[in-house]
Amino acid sequence: MKKITLVLAAMLIGLVGFAQESASETYLNSGQRLLGKDMGKGITFGGYGQIDYNEKDGSAAGNLDVHRLVLLFGYKFNDKVSFLTEVEYEHVKEVYVEQAYIKYKANENLNVLAGLMLVPMGIINEFHEPTTFYGVERPNVDKYIVPTTWRELGVGVSGKIDNASLKYQAYLFNGFRSFNSKNEPGKEGLIGGSSGLRGGRQKGAESVVSSPNLSTKIDFYGIRGLRLGVSGYFGKTQSDDVAVDGTTVGVSMLGFDARYKYNNLELRGQYIATSLTDTEEYNTLTGKDLGSKMNGLYGEVAYSFDLKGEEKLTPFLRYEKHNTHAETEGFAANEAYDRDELIFGLNYKVAEGAAFKVDYQIMNNAVSGSDASKQFNAGVAIWF
Amino acid sequence: MKKSILIVVLALVVSGFTVSKRVQVLIDKEIKNVFKIENYIKQPINISSEIIAELPLKITDTNFNKISSEDSLLGYYYFGQAYGKADYFDFIVIFDKDLIVSKVKILVYREDHGGEIGSRRWLKQFIGKTSEKQLKYQKDIAAISGATISAKAMTREVNKLLKTIEILNNKELL
Repeated sequence: MKKITLVLAAMLIGLVGFAQESASETYLNSGQRLLGKDMGKGITFGGYGQIDYNEKDGSAAGNLDVHRLVLLFGYKFNDKVSFLTEVEYEHVKEVYVEQAYIKYKANENLNVLAGLMLVPMGIINEFHEPTTFYGVERPNVDKYIVPTTWRELGVGVSGKIDNASLKYQAYLFNGFRSFNSKNEPGKEGLIGGSSGLRGGRQKGAESVVSSPNLSTKIDFYGIRGLRLGVSGYFGKTQSDDVAVDGTTVGVSMLGFDARYKYNNLELRGQYIATSLTDTEEYNTLTGKDLGSKMNGLYGEVAYSFDLKGEEKLTPFLRYEKHNTHAETEGFAANEAYDRDELIFGLNYKVAEGAAFKVDYQIMNNAVSGSDASKQFNAGVAIWF
Repeated sequence: MKKSILIVVLALVVSGFTVSKRVQVLIDKEIKNVFKIENYIKQPINISSEIIAELPLKITDTNFNKISSEDSLLGYYYFGQAYGKADYFDFIVIFDKDLIVSKVKILVYREDHGGEIGSRRWLKQFIGKTSEKQLKYQKDIAAISGATISAKAMTREVNKLLKTIEILNNKELL
């Protein structure tokens, strides 16, 4: 396995070198066509990487991590059919497949898609390459409430309506897995209070499906510089033993997101609200502390200073708030799960697709008398 | 779940049979729309291979044409292709006889991401532009979050086209 990784790394380095040579010709495309002569078919190669340094204030040691290294492969069979996959190495040792889907273009306004795909909820889940967001780590609202990177197996349609400046997506996915009867007693419940639905993501690995979940999103980009999104997600979680009461909960999520770019100013905002049903039965059965309502929101402002050539220096500021116990059924909410955060930092873009990042987070929760925890982060972000 | 998959497969099969117009038919429709005419004559321009070599965009006798009706020159059009994130997209730029952009349209967009550049409102920004100055993304041309690669590619391609037109015009080849 190590040899394959080395060969892949060598190929990547070779490709990046080649990409830079023809940079003036092929500006920011994320891949190179290897079988380029016939434009009707071809392979596309690309990738992104996020390398982090995190240090909490206090005496604990810092952490250095190749948090994510993702390789993208695309194959175009013909003008209508293509396949795209992303293979992800997390923390160097964990391998995942982040996407693997086939796209059939029915006409200019409709694509049919099937496979392992990203659930359209919020900004980061769909657009998570590290050079597309500010801050070393992804926003905590996306981590705990969305929960990113959220990808499941499904079928769906996507398309655009040019005259209305609208993009639409609708999928049927398998849902979060809330229960695994094969785990040891006390560990059968997979979702809970501290990280919400995050532990229920199946990620395409022998996913259990007991009922389909519906995921939809509409994006509007008719106002210059502004992009608005509304997402909805509805369904029940999955269990391998639906006969038992309390192994699944109902999930309803609504997401609103907005991005605005004008000259050197960038603004972002997002609000996600989640409603879960049958949480009392679930918690009784599994011993977990799953909340019945969760929500998160953030607002961010960034301003770029143009340096020489493509280089830009961007200070940014973001305020985040999320709560996995916004409401609880049958027990008192844990105030430690009502978290808020202020993050500010700098993004130094050195080329299209490459940036150095540095930021500082001040994190708090609603427990009275709690001290703010602080963390310094620095990192490298790549996307090609 | 089985029923849902069946419905999707049916939708796929049915929509696959939708007639997709060939690109030339789309181009004709746009030209007739812009110049408000029923018929037109198109002619390629004749340029030597030395001149083509110095142009930012390679002009051929199929991708660039003069548009005339009877005896008067109406304008020009360019059919181009640019690369988005993982595939090409096809577009057309129509100029009036004074070399001012009259219309830009994305004819074929292949990927499932970045198709936002087809938005009529976004493309309207290119109308009225001339080779006077190069357009800067996010300044002269509004950004589209989530379609940055294709939007930048389109902006860059239009810039190359405007520069090409300027060179051809200065050499009195149009």
